[in-house]
Amino acid sequence: MPEATFRIKRHNPEKLDDQNGTGGDRYDEFTVPYESSLTVLEGLFYIQEALDGSLSFRYCCRAAVCGSCAMYINGTYRLACQTNVRHLGDGPITVEPMPHMPVVKDLVCDMTDFFAKYETVMPHIIRNSAPPEKEIMQSPNDRKKLDMPVDCILCGSCYSSCPSVWGEGNYLGPAALLKAYRFEVDSRDEARKERLPRFDNERGSYRCHTITNCVEACPKELNPTEAIQWLKGAAVRRRLLGRAK
Amino acid sequence: MRQGVIEESAGGMWLWLLQRVTAVVLILGLSAHIVVTHVLNLGELSYDNVAGRLAMPFFVVVDFALLGAGIFHALNGLRMVLLDYGFSGRSQTMLSWGLFAFGVAAFGYGTWALWPWLTA
Repeated sequence: MPEATFRIKRHNPEKLDDQNGTGGDRYDEFTVPYESSLTVLEGLFYIQEALDGSLSFRYCCRAAVCGSCAMYINGTYRLACQTNVRHLGDGPITVEPMPHMPVVKDLVCDMTDFFAKYETVMPHIIRNSAPPEKEIMQSPNDRKKLDMPVDCILCGSCYSSCPSVWGEGNYLGPAALLKAYRFEVDSRDEARKERLPRFDNERGSYRCHTITNCVEACPKELNPTEAIQWLKGAAVRRRLLGRAK
Repeated sequence: MRQGVIEESAGGMWLWLLQRVTAVVLILGLSAHIVVTHVLNLGELSYDNVAGRLAMPFFVVVDFALLGAGIFHALNGLRMVLLDYGFSGRSQTMLSWGLFAFGVAAFGYGTWALWPWLTA
């Protein structure tokens, strides 16, 4: 039976002032046996159930849809549930929480700021006209514009990887701006002045300096950088050229 | 996020737009500069010839456009690089005004250098 070695970064918030000054951080190694295949998330389950019940991590859907299990696995942002250990080579599998994020415990990051910024861009359809009798219609071409941004699962990988976020705590970050784009390109959205000032500012789209770490980090292979550049152009079209959208 | 943060962050569009506009001015202006000085044969390369060309209204406009565009593009680009090194809030405002003051001084120095041809 093949075995995988997990090298997991541990963080214990109750041992922050321990004597060796590591802030309660250490790496623990675990050996996980498996039969035909094993995802990193399944490996973490095995460790938690059979080897060390104190291991903490987030997960929910196990199908790469919810975005809860984004982690830094062998130096790459990945979803633990869709990462097969067979694709990670023969060496130990290093599992760390997403870098540059406050850690609650072990692999659990504090996502408070991330979701506060997400809410800032009003991530919902805004309508000003009277509701139609049936559904709001949308042409296939207009729907096609949403293909990329609707795949965002808010895992936080792009946000964690963005140097502009590291330098400016109030910068909205790629995930929130991609979400703003998702609703700004939506033909059903009628927001005129509601959402615009929330991303069209120094700590919104203009703080993006096209470093494109977010594109590299995204486990769903989306392109937040391109979306942010579109938002910059959209602000000019709307504020200077008077376009409605 | 706090409403105050959004309010104090207002702006940014003009700097972003001008960075693009000055980029175009620089590409066109520098291309013209190379063509005029190296490709077109505009007479003998002498002090009087060059001075005469620099005093032509068209070249005065081009020179000042290049001076302004170059200074703005360089300093705003520098500002964007520096912003990624942790400038935020008050330090960001001070950085922007500091670079603005430097830009005004640089434009003044450039004007001083071009002035003799304007009054020749």
